[in-house]
Amino acid sequence: MANRKKKQSIYDMIREYLDEAEKLKEGIPSTERPSWDMRACTLEPLSSIFVTPKEVIITADLPYVEPHSVKVEPINSDRLEIMAEMKRKVKFKEMGIVHHEGEFSSFSCQTRIPVPVDMRHLETSFKRGVLEVRIPRKRSYKIPVE
Amino acid sequence: MSTAKIIEKNTVPSEAFLVHGMPDVGLVGVIAASHLITEYKMVEMAYMDSESLPPVAVLHEGLPYAPIRVFGNGGLLITISEMAIPADSIQLFMRTLLDWGQSKNPKLTISISGMPVQNRQDIEKPKVYGVASNANLLKMLEDKGIEVLREGYLVGPQALILRYCAEKNLPAIALLAQSFFNYPDPEAAAAALKEFGNVTGKKIDVAPLLEKGEEIRLRARDVMKRTQTEMERMKKGQEYDLPLYV
Repeated sequence: MANRKKKQSIYDMIREYLDEAEKLKEGIPSTERPSWDMRACTLEPLSSIFVTPKEVIITADLPYVEPHSVKVEPINSDRLEIMAEMKRKVKFKEMGIVHHEGEFSSFSCQTRIPVPVDMRHLETSFKRGVLEVRIPRKRSYKIPVE
Repeated sequence: MSTAKIIEKNTVPSEAFLVHGMPDVGLVGVIAASHLITEYKMVEMAYMDSESLPPVAVLHEGLPYAPIRVFGNGGLLITISEMAIPADSIQLFMRTLLDWGQSKNPKLTISISGMPVQNRQDIEKPKVYGVASNANLLKMLEDKGIEVLREGYLVGPQALILRYCAEKNLPAIALLAQSFFNYPDPEAAAAALKEFGNVTGKKIDVAPLLEKGEEIRLRARDVMKRTQTEMERMKKGQEYDLPLYV
């Protein structure tokens, strides 16, 4: 048969699988939740994660935070917690919001790291109100290239 | 087919500078536009209505407003969106704003936005780049000391505004300040506004904007987060791509 389907390579199958997963992801309704936790008086900071060939870089935007109050703690091998005290409490009322009551005094978030890393060599810096955490990637094996 | 229209509430002046401050990287345009609206004590001139807008009303002093509005005063018309613009409606909304803007015969259309840079934390004074809809305006930018982007990709509201203005032979520029990709960046907005003043001759005091920097970053978090989702949908990361040689 001239138009017989060509046998798929493993790469084609993976690509198809990823395309399907992407389509499914788009169809899933998101579970929206506020970016704050009233009971804990915390705000969830905006954060990002970049995976480079050598390290994983996590950043978090922390307005109203002094560098000395920032805590970065590995929870386990693939999860990191960021906590930071704000230099002043921020109330909903200050933002003109009257339908919520309360105030925030700190930022808190947990980040899952998508590749193996060496948490013992984690490095942090804080510039322009943005925290940057760099963690070297852990490589357990090498594939020789012939 | 979806439609959008601009509904005028006040008499809109002609031959003003038409400024677009739409949600994009670092919310640079929104922060800058918001500052101009405050500084120039602008009033609402018009708003956008469309079935493609999410069912949103923005409350100010207890009264409901449309999320995409036009403000004016002092020879300036400013369009601003207080919510992330849905990626699949951006073409319709920008073309509607541009077609409406054309009817007001603006002196110059100016988009203010950000240019994402990975090492933003290390940059003390964000640099501002310019792009334009024609060669004369590129020369004007260079004469004003603004470096012109020669090659690369633009993605988002300012890309569409420039393309449409070039198609219609309308004078338009975009001022793009180095900024964080997905964190609100008032310093970048202040840098863009300085060059805006340089181009238009308008006096703009950016000191209050810088003083309120932390407050702005805190307040703008949720809009930034939603804008980030829409930027991913419109493949904003393409701005990092190296251009194809042709």
